[in-house]
Amino acid sequence: MRIFENINYEFIGRRKMGYVISGVLILVSLVSFAINGLELGIDFKGGREFVVETTSPLDVTTVRTALTDVLEFAPEVKTYQYNGAQQLLVRTVVDGDADVLRNQIIDTIGRTFPEVEPKIEKTYVVSANFAEDMKRGSIYSIIGSLLVIFVYILIRFEWRFGVGAVAALFHDVIITLGVFSLMQNILGFSLQIDQTIIAAFLTIVGYSLNDTVVVFDRIREYTGLFKSENYENVLNKSINNTLSRTVVTSGTTLLVVTVLFIFGGEVLRGFAFALIIGILIGTYSSVFVASPVVLELRLRAAGKRK
Amino acid sequence: MQGNGFKIFLTVFFFAITGYYLYPSVQSYFIAQDKSELVGEELATYEQENLTKIRNAQEKALKLGLDLQGGMHVTLEVRVEAMISELATDVDDLFTEVLAVASQQASETDNPIIDLFVTEFESRDASARLSRYFRNEEAGITRRSSNADVAAYLRLESDEAVDRAISIIRDRVDRYGVTEPSIQKQGTRRVIVELPGIDDPDRIRGLLRGTARLEFHLMIDPAENVRSLQRIIAYYDTGVDSTATGDDSVAEADTTLDINDLLDSEELTSGNELLDVMQPLGQGVMFGQVLESDTTAANTLLSNPVIAEMLPRGVSLMYTSSPVGTTADGEEVYALLGVRDDIELTGDVITDARVDFDQRTNVPEVTMVMNSEGSRTWARLTGANVGNNIAIVLDGVVYSYPNVLGRISGGRSNITNLESQAEAQDIVTVLKSGALPAPVEIVQESTVGASLGQASIDAGLKSVMFGLALVALFMIFYYRTGGSIADIALILNLIFILGILAGFGATLTLPGIAGIVLTIGMAVDANVLIFERVREEQSTGKTLKASMEGGYAKALSAIFDANITTFFVGVILYSFGLGPIQGFAVTLMAGILSSMFTAIIFTRILMDYMVVEKKLTVSFG
Repeated sequence: MRIFENINYEFIGRRKMGYVISGVLILVSLVSFAINGLELGIDFKGGREFVVETTSPLDVTTVRTALTDVLEFAPEVKTYQYNGAQQLLVRTVVDGDADVLRNQIIDTIGRTFPEVEPKIEKTYVVSANFAEDMKRGSIYSIIGSLLVIFVYILIRFEWRFGVGAVAALFHDVIITLGVFSLMQNILGFSLQIDQTIIAAFLTIVGYSLNDTVVVFDRIREYTGLFKSENYENVLNKSINNTLSRTVVTSGTTLLVVTVLFIFGGEVLRGFAFALIIGILIGTYSSVFVASPVVLELRLRAAGKRK
Repeated sequence: MQGNGFKIFLTVFFFAITGYYLYPSVQSYFIAQDKSELVGEELATYEQENLTKIRNAQEKALKLGLDLQGGMHVTLEVRVEAMISELATDVDDLFTEVLAVASQQASETDNPIIDLFVTEFESRDASARLSRYFRNEEAGITRRSSNADVAAYLRLESDEAVDRAISIIRDRVDRYGVTEPSIQKQGTRRVIVELPGIDDPDRIRGLLRGTARLEFHLMIDPAENVRSLQRIIAYYDTGVDSTATGDDSVAEADTTLDINDLLDSEELTSGNELLDVMQPLGQGVMFGQVLESDTTAANTLLSNPVIAEMLPRGVSLMYTSSPVGTTADGEEVYALLGVRDDIELTGDVITDARVDFDQRTNVPEVTMVMNSEGSRTWARLTGANVGNNIAIVLDGVVYSYPNVLGRISGGRSNITNLESQAEAQDIVTVLKSGALPAPVEIVQESTVGASLGQASIDAGLKSVMFGLALVALFMIFYYRTGGSIADIALILNLIFILGILAGFGATLTLPGIAGIVLTIGMAVDANVLIFERVREEQSTGKTLKASMEGGYAKALSAIFDANITTFFVGVILYSFGLGPIQGFAVTLMAGILSSMFTAIIFTRILMDYMVVEKKLTVSFG
């Protein structure tokens, strides 16, 4: 089967449309950061998280009310099924002895629902200063990744491509973060920014670049091949001829990430969600952001020369 | 097929290596299967007979992360600032303040606390000499030592303290009996402890955290106890120190204060903050009783510096380790005791400790044996204090405070009032391992139960299976024969990834499995690039053989460029991430390497064999 064979869509000619779409998406993302902000997870804020397994499903509101009475603050409470087991997640950023908290949670649930045999299946505790260190580590890894990638692109391609690739990366990460910021309380699963999400973002960075590089590689080849051709046409041809590959690879990756989203369980849901959004945006940006930026830089240089 | 010899050799070579590294994992899977069919004695004999085989297989098998097999991952931080203040021979307000600032800064930046301490100190007073706080003949710190010397001395002490803490913690963990524990130093003052399959995390926490400082203290004089108690109660009555009126009025009061008096006074002064949270006793060395839920409030009131002044000089209040009783509604009550600050004897002199049972009550206790020096001090101490109480204090709480009946020679002592045999066992463990040189704090903990771990494995496997099936079907559907070959490469790729993980002794975590699933989707990319190129070549009218050659050659640079950046991301994630994320980074990197190999080299062998050797037509869809 073949799709996108011998096609010649007008991508470069319609790049202004892409600019508008990207501009709107970035604007919405930035506004959402300003209003909603991003919700940091325990990894970066410090706090406690417990997963309690029970023999039958519990009512979230009842659990929350009962816990709030005992703890004197309102913890985040969620219930879900994981691989056939009933689980309850209690999360709080309030400091305090984790042992005491753990006992209070088990006692309270045991008292409120005498027949569910609550059992702590998971404890995750991060102190505030450790969280600070993890935050720093994540920031280093983000800066480090971007630097390495930029340097690599600079070495392998001319600088305009480097700028194009990095513009596409920022575009992808800002919009994906924007989606996280917009939807943090709408979806039924946690979109808190933690270590796993940072790993997902860096993977998106790598992936989006992957797509971009394939197009750039083709541009590099065609620039040598069609010397007399108008640069815009070269870009367009490169995008069109790699489109089938772009869509197929994005498709297979999207396939597995969706599988992960459905079957991977609570821990990986936010991670998989980030990747789904990131792959969609990354594919779009390799066509509508990276190459057009290269073109604009070229046009500007040509304009000056005149 | 000539020219492919090397490629075939490489494939066979990698396959053999992978097989070698994965064999123990397969073996231990079958051992687990065998074991699950056996019970009781049969199981024991089976384990006995195959001891070395089982151990070998386990040692070399692909390791599962604690999030998959269940267990405890704890990051401990050695409180270097506590150690600094203990090393100080002379402490003043400036010192305390500077240390507090430095430890605050240390938690906000990643600079070592000792550097911050010295810098902060010098910024307050450039001419100040740190040596005046840390004079220590043995360590060569004299009045003339420069600040740099002192800093070097502190750094050395702190490094030693962390290393000693690690070996003590290791010893404790070994004594507790955990299979395959892992204890590693991280940075300058953190220790990562990984304990697979822990069933009682509470106990482990206590075991890791306990400094295990055993101390013998003399206690408050009963008459002084009563006087202080009355003064302190009076202070909270009016908020003013009433001793100005002369304390002689109560000085000759009976050593056992009339409880009724106090109860009366409590009723009279129902507004007394202290009496709201503490029931006063004033009997012997007992200062008062506090409900478990009130301890925080009581501590706040009693830690008031004015209160410390009202206690006899050199006396502090400490809680009993176990409750002295329970209230009608079942809440536990702890006693506050007056304990003298001077340490008469420490746990250093303990040479042996064991769990015993009280002969009459059969309650567990810990019997300790002291060395000759300790025995001598103990004999002198007990001889000089017949009729008085001596407090046995472990990590800041009083376990027992026996009344000395006579001089004890032979250097024996007991820790009593233990709640369970497990507690007695844990005390023996920490006493034998020795005291930690500085307090440690749990800064991060992640504990996963075995059943949740199994659920994660199941979820991971399900994702891998579905992901693989969907991608494989798509490839066959879209690229026909080419797709089938890519699918074989994909499966080989998965085997290689596991082989790489096992070979490097890496750990498979849940994010690691996610990395594998992601790799399944991305690994076909290289083949997609190649096949798309082949199609392009074919459309220009070239023969199948020529198209294939062109396709493989031209796709190479794109494959390389696209993969290497993701590989870099993997390297960076590995350097900065924690356990589970490192697992993700490792599988991502392994996936990239092996997918490049299988997609470029392995599929080429199959293609060449079919097209060149067998003259078959390979469809690229």
